[in-house]
Amino acid sequence: MALPLRYSFRNVLIRWRSTFATVLGIALVVFVFVLLQSLAAGIEKSSGNTGDSRNIMIVRKGSTAESASLISRENLREIQYFEEIARNERNEPLISADVLVLVSLPRIDGSGEANVLLRGISARGVELRPQVQLVAGRWFTPGKREIVVSSRMAKRFANFSLGQSFKAGTASLTVVGWLDGGGSAFDSECWMDADECRSLFERDLYSSFLARPVDEAAGAKLLARIEADRRFKLKAEKEVAYYQKQTMTAAPIKWLGGFLAIMMSVGAVFAAMNTMYASIGARTREIGTLRVLGFRRRSVVAALLIEGALLALIGGVAGCAIAYLWNGYTTATMGFETFSEIVFEFTVTPRLMGEGLIFAVIVGLMGSFLPSVRASRLPVINALKSV
Amino acid sequence: MTIAGFIVRNALRNKRRFLLSVSSVAMSLFLLVTLQVALRELTNPINDEGSTLRIIVRNKVSLAQPLPARQLPTIERIPGVAAITPFSYYGGLYKGDEKFTSFAQFAVDPARALDLLSDARVPPEQMQAWIADRTSAIVGKMTADRYGLKVGDRMPFTGQIYPCDLEFKIAGIYQGTADDRNVMFHQKYLDEALGDPGTVGTWWVKASSVEEAPLVTERINKAFANTSAEVRAETERAFQLGFVSMWANIKILIGGISMVVVFALLLVTVSTMSMAIRERFRELAVLKALGFRRRELFAFILAESFGLATLGAFFGAGGAWLLYRTLDMPKLTGGMFVVFEVTPQMLALAFTIAAVLGLLSAVAPMIGVARTSVVQGLKTLD
Repeated sequence: MALPLRYSFRNVLIRWRSTFATVLGIALVVFVFVLLQSLAAGIEKSSGNTGDSRNIMIVRKGSTAESASLISRENLREIQYFEEIARNERNEPLISADVLVLVSLPRIDGSGEANVLLRGISARGVELRPQVQLVAGRWFTPGKREIVVSSRMAKRFANFSLGQSFKAGTASLTVVGWLDGGGSAFDSECWMDADECRSLFERDLYSSFLARPVDEAAGAKLLARIEADRRFKLKAEKEVAYYQKQTMTAAPIKWLGGFLAIMMSVGAVFAAMNTMYASIGARTREIGTLRVLGFRRRSVVAALLIEGALLALIGGVAGCAIAYLWNGYTTATMGFETFSEIVFEFTVTPRLMGEGLIFAVIVGLMGSFLPSVRASRLPVINALKSV
Repeated sequence: MTIAGFIVRNALRNKRRFLLSVSSVAMSLFLLVTLQVALRELTNPINDEGSTLRIIVRNKVSLAQPLPARQLPTIERIPGVAAITPFSYYGGLYKGDEKFTSFAQFAVDPARALDLLSDARVPPEQMQAWIADRTSAIVGKMTADRYGLKVGDRMPFTGQIYPCDLEFKIAGIYQGTADDRNVMFHQKYLDEALGDPGTVGTWWVKASSVEEAPLVTERINKAFANTSAEVRAETERAFQLGFVSMWANIKILIGGISMVVVFALLLVTVSTMSMAIRERFRELAVLKALGFRRRELFAFILAESFGLATLGAFFGAGGAWLLYRTLDMPKLTGGMFVVFEVTPQMLALAFTIAAVLGLLSAVAPMIGVARTSVVQGLKTLD
């Protein structure tokens, strides 16, 4: 006969004082785990969220990052007249030749400098990226040394307010607008006119082309055509596919999260075992009574395991709840692909919380397994005699 | 029985609990030390004698922007400059590496680099061979060991930053620098492959003395002010600290997690100590009745919790120290951490935390003991 669930449940509640430390310990383990994984999830979400599924990005063959790619103007002249590329109402081909430059700029809090990714875009650049919205000011005027910065970067770097200007290269750029990338990788960029950007930083070459094919079929044709043409040493792929791969920065964070969680949970298992041993020791007589009443050994073990799991689950829920406080909070670090500051949000997903809870329950079960076996093995007579 | 014996016996009376408590304290302190080491690796770059003399000159725009090669004679003439070489980060992907190569490749001028690489030990004949053959390179010992490379082998790379693939012949293997992982090859070889663009990545300059170094950086910065390629000259150390600033919030995060670990640790020890004391209230009352004074009882409790925490520190921090000394950390972390060293300061920190922990966790039981009268204590059932 199994012990009612209520027995386990009430035990957790009644002895809350002695179990509090254990619960909190498990909560902290789960908190650290969920928080670190939410950082990695944030980076992945931001890169997975970037791009328009219709667009095709063209970079130099062999370059793994857009910023390390170089493409000539001759290539642009040819590719822009491909019939696969869509045209707008003014019959202009929907292609933007971009140039990416890293600029080292001072942080707003004076704690040093960091690289900022500056993207020079052509006239169609904004049109091709509908997810980027202007949230303040206006777009830059082509041919002028004006720049539109990401509103999230504006909180992190000096002189990024509207109307302010900062020095980059030999000239200074005036901030005329703030953009919002809608939680995409564009939130970590500043945009200006491509040709101004090229002359300012002495770049003969573009970094990448972004094109919109007429339709799905034309897109596939364009990919094949660029791949097949020996004159271009270029690689074409879907814009979304390119950004989806930009998650190298997330890998070490994930690794760190897993490592810490496992190490901390070993400590937590020890602590849980301590608590369970003590709690069982204190009710030796009670357990003896249960046995006399006819409850089987395995029922006692099951009830105590459930008690441990419940205890850990409470801790897990608390840990997830604390971690959830960070959800949506913006943070930043250096992106490994771009070598520049990337801005992203802590993203606590239901999946992560689920993993955290499973993790907690495993800790609870491991912590209560040995103590519960010991309790069930106590000779009934001795147990009853104990004070 | 001596008093010390009494305390030890008391601590060990529940061996399982004692063991579990010590292990959980040890585990947490082990983790704390590990985090500290990682944090130090990320934020506190390697510091050797050469790095206070070496100056890195980069384009003011950013590290990714090249510098014109014509700057060389100008810098050479600046007073206090003892040596200079181009120093261009090639950033190639080594054959067989999927996405990420853990060692750097730099294009230098070998004849000029000799002075700057003063702490690198290379057999003279290998050095001569390197200077003589412009397709050759010298390789750090750590990288050579990792890939099983020897003199005469070839190393092919796919260019990720520069649009050219290069292959080097290994002319020599160096060791003795702070980071024996890099590959150094001829700037001329890179120029040839790129069609001689007349640019270099950065300049690597050696100041004639430590006192001169700040003056030299200032002079270099001034020499190119208001030119088409303004520069930022800084000592190697300042340059590396610049990288630290780029890590941004990650530093704070690791620091924060260390705090959480310490806090969790505190909880565990406190609860164990109070558990241990609670179950012997009656005994303590007996001791009181026998005439032991309150502060003697406090001393028993304190000694026990203190001993438990320090023992945990001994195994945790000491274990970390021993483990990271024996393990080949550069290999295990894929070259992400070169020196994974537990410093005496970290050990001291771990032991200090343990000591504070021991004190704090004795407080609650002591208050309990102080509040309880002998009669009450004797009446207590577990």
